[in-house]
Amino acid sequence: MIDQLGNGLLLGIIISVASVALSLLYSVTRIVNFAHGEIIALGAIMTLFFSNPVDSRVIYLDRFSPLGLDFVISAFLAVILCGVFGGLLELILFRPLRKAEVGNIAILVVTIGLSIFIRHLYLIFATGRVQNFPLELERRVTYLFFDMTPRNFRVLIAGIIVMVLIGLLLTFTRIGKAMRAVRDSGELASISGINSDNIILITWISSSMLAGLAGIFQGVINDIRYNMGFLILLLVFAGTVLGGIGTSFGAMVGGLLIGIFVQVSVAFPFMEGHIEAKNAVALGLMIVILLFRPQGIFGQKERIS
Amino acid sequence: MNNPILECNGIAAGYVKGLNILQGVDLVVSEGEIVSIIGPNGAGKSTLLKAIMGLINISAGRFFIEGLEKTNLPTHKIVNEGVGYVPQVQNVFPSLTIEENLEMGSWSLGKNAKQSINELYQEFPLLEERRKEKAGNLSGGQRQILALARALVTSPKLLLLDEPSAGLSPLAIDDVFKTIKNINLKGVSILLVEQNAKRALKFSNRGYVLDQGRNAYQGTGTDLLDDPRVVDLYLGKL
Repeated sequence: MIDQLGNGLLLGIIISVASVALSLLYSVTRIVNFAHGEIIALGAIMTLFFSNPVDSRVIYLDRFSPLGLDFVISAFLAVILCGVFGGLLELILFRPLRKAEVGNIAILVVTIGLSIFIRHLYLIFATGRVQNFPLELERRVTYLFFDMTPRNFRVLIAGIIVMVLIGLLLTFTRIGKAMRAVRDSGELASISGINSDNIILITWISSSMLAGLAGIFQGVINDIRYNMGFLILLLVFAGTVLGGIGTSFGAMVGGLLIGIFVQVSVAFPFMEGHIEAKNAVALGLMIVILLFRPQGIFGQKERIS
Repeated sequence: MNNPILECNGIAAGYVKGLNILQGVDLVVSEGEIVSIIGPNGAGKSTLLKAIMGLINISAGRFFIEGLEKTNLPTHKIVNEGVGYVPQVQNVFPSLTIEENLEMGSWSLGKNAKQSINELYQEFPLLEERRKEKAGNLSGGQRQILALARALVTSPKLLLLDEPSAGLSPLAIDDVFKTIKNINLKGVSILLVEQNAKRALKFSNRGYVLDQGRNAYQGTGTDLLDDPRVVDLYLGKL
């Protein structure tokens, strides 16, 4: 079981970063974004696009744009592109919908359609093949009592640092406080002199950058597929709900827990030969926890007056 | 008469296009005045405040702040014109601390925010005492005081108050009205919407009675209180 804990932490950090992004977007805009998975995949696919050497041609796009940049630079560019993409989604699609006062359910359906649409664009342009970043294979090393490759260990550390930074940003900076203010009431924020539209745009950009980063983590730890974001999306939702919808700290912990549940359940005796069912244990546990704590682990019941 | 701070001419506005709640309201608030708007439910009292704040679209008519037209200015910009607004509900950020609430209120001040907040603490020592506490944990009366303070950080010339006494205990109401009076004595003009018409009119320099989106009567607070038509229609027997 301890063997699986390392894997669980790695899966957990992917879900965790993606959950924080999802939760941030939901809490500020009230949008349940099913296209979140596609932004996750965009991070990985763009990194692959930038970093792939000329001759491997695993990606269709390489035929007209062979770049072969350094991996870290590629990842950096990909994260920025994800931010741009998220910003454009808000400006072209979600802001006009909001101004037209389209209901939340309708917007949710829009995000589902968007998810399917973008996913199939990936299928066309990035092919349906399972791919990997052009990185050398590494041997596993033992850290404390977890076994993982040095690269994955660095991903874990990077993920933790990013989440601590997000936490600090939300708590102490002017923009972070404004995001929380818009979360409480967009109208009151406007009355206070805050341009809510700008704050929502910044939220879209930062949420998409985080999602892209989660995708890059997923690509490094596992592999890259056109539907990689969609495959992990359910676990991301689970992490968000488990931690308590709308709390960033909850999403971090919820995401980590879901990842650990999924991987550790592989080691349960009754799971032998049924590894495909590992998500079932994690999601089942989530349901049980929610039965006892409906607002999620860190969610707060509001005082209504 | 003092200079007018706010001047509304024939304002028409509503929540849905083609269905105006306000159908031509005229109103003036002068420097240093307390003016109250009373009227039955659905008369458009709160709607008028929302229209001035740019929260709903004004389809006809105009309003001026210190002589300059500000009709349909985006909400976050009207604050810079020296107008503060305290809505009836959701008037504090519950998950933010008291200090953060005031920081949000002083958003448009940028670097000068800290100093304004510190000055405000001198007036409201209770808020300074509990500055690290979440606003959601405050009682109704304390919340209303915080809501007033949040609107005051920018030192507005005009304060729009939407039913500040709604849902409060009699003691808390006294406290809120006393605070409003103090704010007014410092030179802030006040436009007050109240259900508690009797109390509001006694408290105000002048009052407007709205009915079905139009001005019905207007006059000084005591005149309106004594006017049998107003008494019959809106105040009930005194």
